[in-house]
Amino acid sequence: MKPLSRFILTTLAVLVFSAIITGPTAFAAKAVKVGIVDCYSGPPSTYTNDVRDAFKLAIDKINASGSLSRKIEFVTRDSKFKVDIGLSAAKELIMRENVDIMMGTINSGLALAISDLCKKEKIPFLVTFSKSAKITGEKGHRYVFSLTENSALAGKAMAESLAKKPYTKFWIGGDDYEYGHAIADATWEHLIKIKPEVQLLGQSWWKVREPDFTPYITAMLAAKPDAVIVATGGADCVPFLKAAKATGFNDKVPFIMHTATELSTLKPLGANGPEGVLGTSNYFHYFPDSAENKAFVSEFKAAYDRPPAVGALYGYLAATFIQKAYATAGSFKTEKFIDALEGMTVDSPVGKVTIRAFDHQAMLPMFMGVTKKSAEYDYLIADDIIVISGEDAMPAIEEIKKARGM
Amino acid sequence: MSASPKTDWKKLIWALMGVAVFFVLPNFLSRFSIYLMALIFTTGLLATSLNMVLGYGGMYQFHHAVFYGFGAYTTALFLTKTGLPGWVAFVCAPLASALLSLLIGLICVRLSKLYFGMFQISLGSLVWAIIYRWYSFTHGDDGIHGIPVPDLIASGKSAYYFALIVLVVCLMIMYRIVESPFGRIFQGVRDNPERSEAVGVNVRKHQLVGMIIGGTFAGVAGSLFVVVEGSVFPDLLFWTLSLEILIMCLLGGWFTFLGPLFGAAIIVLLRTFVGIYTEYWTIVLGIVLMLLIFFLPEGVLGYIITRYRSRRNPKFQEG
Amino acid sequence: MDLLPNISLAAFCQQLLVGLSRTTILFIVASGLSLVLGVLRIPNVAHGSLYMIGAFLAYTIASAAGGGTFGFWLALVLAPLGVALISLAVERGLFCRLYEREHLMLLLFTFAFTLVFGDLVKLVWGSDFRSMNAPTSLQGSFDVLGFPFPKYNLFLLIIGPIVALGLWWLTNKTKIGKIAKAAAVDREMVAAVGINVSWVFASVFVIGCFLAGLGGALVAPTQNITQGMDHGIIIETFLIVIIGGLGNIWGALLGALIFGLTDAIGILIFPQFAIVFPYVAVITVLMLRPKGLLKSVW
Repeated sequence: MKPLSRFILTTLAVLVFSAIITGPTAFAAKAVKVGIVDCYSGPPSTYTNDVRDAFKLAIDKINASGSLSRKIEFVTRDSKFKVDIGLSAAKELIMRENVDIMMGTINSGLALAISDLCKKEKIPFLVTFSKSAKITGEKGHRYVFSLTENSALAGKAMAESLAKKPYTKFWIGGDDYEYGHAIADATWEHLIKIKPEVQLLGQSWWKVREPDFTPYITAMLAAKPDAVIVATGGADCVPFLKAAKATGFNDKVPFIMHTATELSTLKPLGANGPEGVLGTSNYFHYFPDSAENKAFVSEFKAAYDRPPAVGALYGYLAATFIQKAYATAGSFKTEKFIDALEGMTVDSPVGKVTIRAFDHQAMLPMFMGVTKKSAEYDYLIADDIIVISGEDAMPAIEEIKKARGM
Repeated sequence: MSASPKTDWKKLIWALMGVAVFFVLPNFLSRFSIYLMALIFTTGLLATSLNMVLGYGGMYQFHHAVFYGFGAYTTALFLTKTGLPGWVAFVCAPLASALLSLLIGLICVRLSKLYFGMFQISLGSLVWAIIYRWYSFTHGDDGIHGIPVPDLIASGKSAYYFALIVLVVCLMIMYRIVESPFGRIFQGVRDNPERSEAVGVNVRKHQLVGMIIGGTFAGVAGSLFVVVEGSVFPDLLFWTLSLEILIMCLLGGWFTFLGPLFGAAIIVLLRTFVGIYTEYWTIVLGIVLMLLIFFLPEGVLGYIITRYRSRRNPKFQEG
Repeated sequence: MDLLPNISLAAFCQQLLVGLSRTTILFIVASGLSLVLGVLRIPNVAHGSLYMIGAFLAYTIASAAGGGTFGFWLALVLAPLGVALISLAVERGLFCRLYEREHLMLLLFTFAFTLVFGDLVKLVWGSDFRSMNAPTSLQGSFDVLGFPFPKYNLFLLIIGPIVALGLWWLTNKTKIGKIAKAAAVDREMVAAVGINVSWVFASVFVIGCFLAGLGGALVAPTQNITQGMDHGIIIETFLIVIIGGLGNIWGALLGALIFGLTDAIGILIFPQFAIVFPYVAVITVLMLRPKGLLKSVW
């Protein structure tokens, strides 16, 4: 017993001290360093791994092409979906690794925290997955950029498409946290503006990671709405669609759910997923049917042996914007980099994407589709896709000025 | 712990030397290390405050993080929503946490051991749920960021000194409490509640006061967190954090006064530096915890102290 | 919105039925937890991880067997057994050396397991969402009073009483059950009459964990099988065990009923605040009966 405890004690001590003493390794040629803090544990990692993998792929290509005089490197830290761990890691990247650019994260609370940190530290922060509209809205500033859609954009897009349908009586159900409420509010506020006769029968809010949606679905059916707006995201989409299938919810009441048509949601359900569900997403590996997208998909597949999901688009965009901004600026200075990024347009698998200069929000097209069985894949795909252009879904600059109190 | 004046002097000199070292330390440390040390002070204060209830009171305080987060949120809300001078927030945070521990304590102390702990988890989860979804007031799960901390303590170095001073003052007060008559009775209640009851000690009242003391200092730690990080978020009140603090106490040794501080330092350092090399920090923590329970149940500091004493005085051998 | 919408009796009954099927899962998992708590005095926080592993194993077995109806039944039998096997190894290797320790130590030790199991699941199964199908005969729903009721939930309603009966038989009619009951009250006494308590404990632990695995395998077709499944269930089942009375299996049943039904009814009546309903129920119960509803063995 005794020697063992001493052994453990020494190991612990050695571990701690060696960790403290060994600083980050010095790099021969000074490279541009990108620090990524994101959640690589738990359900969100199914989205974030795609961001990282696509980013790496694009960075490798950029480095190989030699289009920049410096190489781009990146380091990742796992936030475990905890704001305290992520914030600590972000400080470590900024203060100890001296990163030039920060990137991440799927957790909105953490994204806002890092955004605030980067504002103080004057480090550009590229947000790659958080859906909070506050990032480039109310809390936007010079150093933060969003390369992903957000709840305001998605809500507006969903409202636009719902207004075209003959529904008037609605029910809203969603995840009882910021994202759910934000997306539901954005949808409803816009819907009632463009179609004043709509009425809201009621709302259900379930906890995040609700295991069984059957009681909620039967409660919604009891209210007999024309359509239901489901403000559920991420991992919860899968059990919701399962419960919808089991109860025949999708046959009885039409419902729209942001991210319902995404690969991460539909792939696990296989050919057995519910058909006829309306959903919106930024990216499909089978749409748009363009040469750029096909090339992107085949490269990604060759590297990782799986088709890219929506996160891959964000990762690709981040790398592409970084490269082009440095190339345009002709300098590796942070302020020049930011000036170059404002209003910059790049080519991507979904066509041209521009960062709006005013709020630093990437204007990404939104694809609205209906789930349908496919002959080609062993899972459902989105069909009858309507494209809502980035410009149409963006909130007006006046609204953002108002939110920022300008 | 003999209370002879001689040992007290010795302890005081050691303590003064320790504090002096920490006062000059920032001059030799990198910016990140200074931040990390400030974080350790904060977490260490939190763990020590838990140990007041857990180690000295023997109560299953399973949801200590609630008082920490509550203090942090009180500070943050005061700083962002009122025009009052920032220092008011730092006084109100411990008071708010004390009030919360009084409320939760009044209901909980009627229960024993595991019931106490589980009931506290459900009440604490309720507080968490309220903060998590009261968007208009607490900003929900987004949290509050960029909190305007008074200029005097806003920079990394001054936050370090502020945290250090607060920690030292709090440790001194807590140490006095432990050594006070109340502290002796409190520990007596832990060791033998039935006998204490029989000799006329109001067990529940002592446990309640113990909880309030622990909660108050957790609230202080909460406002320190705001100074160090400038953010608050509902994770600060989540039950997994409570278990993490428990681990800190166990790791350092909950039968020693400074053990939890030690444990907090180890956990924060391990988490930061293991996280650099691997995504699998959790499995490392799990294995460390298992080894600890098997081989070092008295904690790292507890082990060192027993070793030290047994070497100086063979009669002190454990067992 | 509306505090009292027009709720028909049919909708109410339907909601009760749905709540009951949720109760089944909660009962199966909580009874296993309660069994371990009652006999071994281990507050097994890793119970939720075993539930998660049960679901993952079920997924793997079902897909290895082709994913069809046969795969489901095979998974339902094998996955809980796999979990039982893991728990046997853990119990014999580690837990059996710690029985004399304080409850808090045991709790933290099992918490260490949740940390390790959590990362092991990530290592083995990766980060993709997983899903498996119910057998064809249990897919879809049929009408109950004009509302769709999933066939799979009916299946759960049948399984619940079977498990309860099995547990009753095990604890009251078998030798090991009787010994375990006696050991729960006074383990020295049982050891004194020459019974190898250690193996009784091991069996009870394995049975308890088997139930966690069974719960996981049963929910696998209705849920998204991912990391983090353990977090939600463990708090819920602990609360159930607490309000039922520590270590009392029938208390677990009662607790699961209260939890499952208040949840379902809360969703119907106050859909906006459904999140707090079960917690309020727990707090109310404990305010009235601080030691749980039924007699605790502690």
